[in-house]
Amino acid sequence: MSAPRPYNAPDTDAPTGHREVDPVTGYDTTGHDWNGIRELNTPFPRIVVWALGLTFLYSVVTWVLLPAWPTGHTYTRGLLGLDQSEAAVERLREVDAVRQGWLARFDDPDFTALAADRDLMAWATPAADRLYQDNCAACHGFAGGGGPGFPDLRDTAWLWGGDPETVAETLRHGINAPDPDTRIAEMPAFDWLDRSERRELAAYVAALPTGDATHDSPAGFLFAENCEACHGAQGGGGLMNGAPSLADAAVIYGQDPGTVMETLRVGRRGVMPAWGDRLSAAEINLLASYVSRVSENGKGGRE
Amino acid sequence: MLRLHYNLEKVSMGLVAAIMVAASIGGIVEIAPLFTIDETVTLPDDLRPHTPLELAGREIYVREGCYACHSQMVRSLADELDRYGPYSLAAESAYDHPMLWGSKRTGPDLARLGEKYSDAWHVAHLRDPRAVVPASIMPAYPWLGRPLDTRLLEAQLATLARLGVPYDDAMIANAEADALAQSRPASDGAAAVVARYGERIAMRAFDGDAERLTEMDAVVAYLQSLGTLTNAPYQIIGGGEQ
Amino acid sequence: MVGTLTRSERRIGIVLSVSLGLLGLGMAAGARHGVMAVHGMMALGLGLALIFHIGGALYDEPEPAPGRSGRYYDAPTRFGIGMTLLWAIVGMAAGVWVAALLYWPEATPPWPWTSFGRLRPVHTTGVIFGFGGNALIATSFHVLQRTSRARLADALSPWVVLIGYNLFCAWAVTGYLMGSTQSKEYAEAEWYADLWLVVVWSVYFTLYIRTLARRNEPHIYVANWYYLAFILVVAMLHVVNNLALPVSLGAADSFTIWSGVQDAMIQWWYGHNAVAFFLTAGFLGMLYYFLPVRSGRPIWSYRLSIVSFWGIVFFYIWVGSHHLHYTALPYWAQTLGMTFSVMLLVPSWASAGNAIATLNGAWHKVRDDATLRFMFVAAVFYGLSTFEGSFLAIRPVNSLSHYTDWTVGHVHAGTLGWVAMIVFGAIYTLVPQLAGRETMAWPRAIEWHFWSAVGGTLVYVIAMWNAGITQGLMWRTYDESGALSYSFIESVRTMAPYYLLRTLGGAMFLGGAVICALNCRATMRAAGGREDAADHPLSLHPAE
Ligand code: HEC
Ligand code: HEC
Ligand code: HEC
Ligand code: HEM
Ligand code: HEM
Ligand SMILES: [Ca+2]
Ligand SMILES: [Ca+2]
Ligand SMILES: [Cu+2]
Repeated sequence: MSAPRPYNAPDTDAPTGHREVDPVTGYDTTGHDWNGIRELNTPFPRIVVWALGLTFLYSVVTWVLLPAWPTGHTYTRGLLGLDQSEAAVERLREVDAVRQGWLARFDDPDFTALAADRDLMAWATPAADRLYQDNCAACHGFAGGGGPGFPDLRDTAWLWGGDPETVAETLRHGINAPDPDTRIAEMPAFDWLDRSERRELAAYVAALPTGDATHDSPAGFLFAENCEACHGAQGGGGLMNGAPSLADAAVIYGQDPGTVMETLRVGRRGVMPAWGDRLSAAEINLLASYVSRVSENGKGGRE
Repeated sequence: MLRLHYNLEKVSMGLVAAIMVAASIGGIVEIAPLFTIDETVTLPDDLRPHTPLELAGREIYVREGCYACHSQMVRSLADELDRYGPYSLAAESAYDHPMLWGSKRTGPDLARLGEKYSDAWHVAHLRDPRAVVPASIMPAYPWLGRPLDTRLLEAQLATLARLGVPYDDAMIANAEADALAQSRPASDGAAAVVARYGERIAMRAFDGDAERLTEMDAVVAYLQSLGTLTNAPYQIIGGGEQ
Repeated sequence: MVGTLTRSERRIGIVLSVSLGLLGLGMAAGARHGVMAVHGMMALGLGLALIFHIGGALYDEPEPAPGRSGRYYDAPTRFGIGMTLLWAIVGMAAGVWVAALLYWPEATPPWPWTSFGRLRPVHTTGVIFGFGGNALIATSFHVLQRTSRARLADALSPWVVLIGYNLFCAWAVTGYLMGSTQSKEYAEAEWYADLWLVVVWSVYFTLYIRTLARRNEPHIYVANWYYLAFILVVAMLHVVNNLALPVSLGAADSFTIWSGVQDAMIQWWYGHNAVAFFLTAGFLGMLYYFLPVRSGRPIWSYRLSIVSFWGIVFFYIWVGSHHLHYTALPYWAQTLGMTFSVMLLVPSWASAGNAIATLNGAWHKVRDDATLRFMFVAAVFYGLSTFEGSFLAIRPVNSLSHYTDWTVGHVHAGTLGWVAMIVFGAIYTLVPQLAGRETMAWPRAIEWHFWSAVGGTLVYVIAMWNAGITQGLMWRTYDESGALSYSFIESVRTMAPYYLLRTLGGAMFLGGAVICALNCRATMRAAGGREDAADHPLSLHPAE
């Protein structure tokens, strides 16, 4: 702003009736008085004109370069011919090109060789971890520990198998997911059994992991008749048909008698989403190798 | 100029008129062409409106203010395509009155959420987010287990139809029945829902209980539909791109 | 308050109250949906209360002295200031509570109405419309009369405006608690509340114009230009953005007639200009009156006032699309929003500069007088938040800031630093006058309030800047392997300390507002209930 100077506005169109000069700034007032409020007739500061000009210039340049003004049924496209969506896809391709440097090796993987390549894993692990956290952690937990209804990925008990190829297949198509090739794993409801029978079975199943279950009992027979087909002899599992082993410590829903009663009453049909449409083949393989390693070191993705 | 203003500021209705004119131009220039420029919205052939159950879920999403924390708009930026999936198209919300693009991401974007998680997960998460995501700061919605009030559905579909959403008379007349049937895949009405809304809709007991039609059924049905109303965005940048 | 009305005005008042009660009864009886029935009962209750209040005093209280047309009418302003302070506490307490919930989500009780998503609009509506709106209406009545040297055109309209407006706010806020909302940000209230506001607003506009028409000063003062722009443009925005089709006349449920991308553009054309004409233009009107009054200095430049006023009115309307950068809104509209936002900085800073330069020659007062200091800080934060706004409107910057807490930081630099500060400055100038006193009852408390407000604002805003920039960077950072570095949930975890700080800053600010409310109550009490204590005779200055 220019230095205060006495300003006697000859060019003002303001009436000159009550002109008074403000002693502090040296400027005239406009002569109006709104119940004590007055206004100075300070000239228009140059800098405001400059600033308006400058920002207008910036705008004009921008309008020339970018899509800007609508003209009825279309709009000015701008000299640069930019399209924000193309630009984003372009940029994504660039990033993708960077990671293809190592990610491409997961396209058609030899998992054993990959796991042995420590350099590669140093690149891959943080990326896998981010993918895991954004997509899988919601169900399988921050560190892979699972939760009620969602299996623990750190243990060595597998529903379908823990080798990376099998895991990758599980990831691609999911389990009980809306995907034509999904794995199917259904625990039927045994609500047709008597309540007392279910109670005995539940006690039996609850005792399986501790080794206290008496196989040679009515419950043991019931189990052999109804359950062994899926859960294996004496609940030992290992059939890799989606039915969990009932003889180890790993649980999905819980193996206390109450929860097992509920499982028997309503059946179970846990859903693991299919990722084939959401993640690329290489990303799925990356996650598969990550998950199998999580299981091997038993500590989860995070040390 | 100064003289002009000097006189204008003595005429109150003159000021009023000048303000109205000055404050209208920008809006007209920016809004009117959105209705006249064809490429603004290209409606894909496979775009479907929400089913009555999903619509009821959307109303609950609005009621609970989920939009205060969640956007439904993947911006055209590489990191967002990478994290969430294909960028959102204008067409995807063409039937949304109002749109729910959101303006804050306290939680993640939900535009591509459909079928990302299972129904059971959504139920567990909405009942108590910290039971499944310990670090979550999302509120719990334990009251969603109450029965869904479907009485307004028919009027809602009719109102939307008046606004141009392609609900036909059969859809409107059967709104309540369709909402119930979508959550009871084994029931008699189920086939009719598929006939009306297409193969791609999810027909499940979303809250895990086919006997009761709850608010949870509606919200989960809505969440599972996000990003699945049309395939167009996936075709544009290709499946599995991220 | 009834004492300020003549008998015939009291009778008309009763008729209006009966109509309000009947409207409420009709709503309550015809509603198919719980919320609308509750709102009908609220209107009915209010109507009945007014009938008893006015009816009880109909013949008992003396009529106002005959010379009242020569005096200002300040009773509505007094009531409006009271409502301002009440809503300040309600709205800001809701703000502190939702801030706390983001740090401590388990604290949510298991009742639907206490949930974050329902309380957040209670906060925004409570502070913007409840606190800000009442302050604008109350001060506009005061400023309009003083700068026109005329009494308000009639004695009933101001009450219709204030009571009707507060009923709108109460309907809106209780509606959200019960789950009734249109989900359009800052316009969440349902269709019948929207319609009601149109009625109230028409009365407001008419009153304004009628009073201006009686002015004894040929020129309309700048403050009134701004108040007029606020009233007019808000009306236009409100009507267009809220066009909706009710699902049934008996339900608090409707669908916006706009959809998708057009709806988004209209929503942010509204949303941004709610900021521009509600939170900016109106408060500039307040600034243009109370700053010169308190500092005893003339406005620095009349010519600059003209340019900044028309710059603000013209440019602001274009910039709503800066809320939709990189979205499915066509690129051309984004470019316009960006460039006009940059040009907008010039008139914005011109107003801020004009205000600050007005203080030339009064800096010693700024140092000694906390009230004037509120206004000075307001002008500074106005400059700061408009600079920040124009910066955030630049596409690449917005790609980082959008969806993050940076926006929230910007919002509160504007609302706490600018809007709330100027309101407090105006209140501390006005309340002693209204109470017929020289000073507030507790002059020292103004200092405490000032420092807790400035401290609270800085803590809040700085915490959110850090939070937002961190969040934005975490979402977009790629590491050298070409993979995204952070998962979403890690960004959520990182926010915790900032959310805690924000809660503390907000609590400080709220504390100051509570002090202000108590101080005002004490000041008004000391006036001894003399309704007319502050009605000053019209100034004897000759009109030009
Ligand atoms: C919606 C929740 C959910 C999400 C998200 C999810 N899963 Fe699963 N996952 C499950 C459920 C439930 C099962 C068990 C299905 C069953 O009970 O038969 C499962 C099973 C698995 C299995 C098979 C375990 C075995 O023992 O054979 C693997 C491996 C797996 N998930 C890995 C992942 C990975 C990697 C991701 C992320 C890309 C992921 N999951 C995302 C719910 C989920
Ligand atoms: C048709 C094959 C099948 C039969 C028969 C079957 N199950 Fe299962 N069972 C499964 C599958 C598959 C799962 C996993 C379901 C899931 O993860 O959602 C399962 C899960 C369980 C679980 C839950 C395990 C956990 O970790 O929480 C229990 C307990 C169980 N079954 C017990 C039984 C008993 C007892 C019987 C006999 C009465 C039985 N099952 C019969 C397939 C079967
Ligand atoms: C206070 C903010 C807040 C509110 C309100 C809120 N959420 Fe969330 N939401 C979050 C946060 C934070 C996360 C990330 C952590 C998590 O997964 O819980 C999240 C995650 C989610 C997810 C998982 C998304 C994904 O891709 O991982 C879904 C689905 C979801 N919210 C739905 C909803 C619904 C439906 C509502 C309303 C009924 C809602 N949210 C209300 C904050 C909120
Ligand atoms: C030159 C003036 C201003 C400009 C150009 C401007 C620009 C912006 C921009 C770019 C955003 C972020 C949009 C987004 O990414 O979502 C924003 C948000 C916001 N600004 Fe400003 N701003 C200005 C002044 C102000 C002032 C003075 C206030 C308050 C008094 C204010 C209140 C808000 C609010 C409330 C929002 C949040 C809207 C929402 O997302 O809910 N702004 N502004
Ligand atoms: C006591 C002081 C205050 C506190 C603690 C506070 C807190 C908050 C919180 C926690 C949010 C939600 C942010 C989010 O969703 O992440 C918010 C939003 C908001 N607040 Fe405040 N607030 C306060 C005062 C005010 C005041 C005085 C105003 C207006 C005059 C205001 C206007 C807003 C607006 C417009 C938003 C929405 C911003 C957006 O959508 O981006 N707040 N506030
Ligand atoms: Ca159900
Ligand atoms: Ca509304
Ligand atoms: Cu804006």
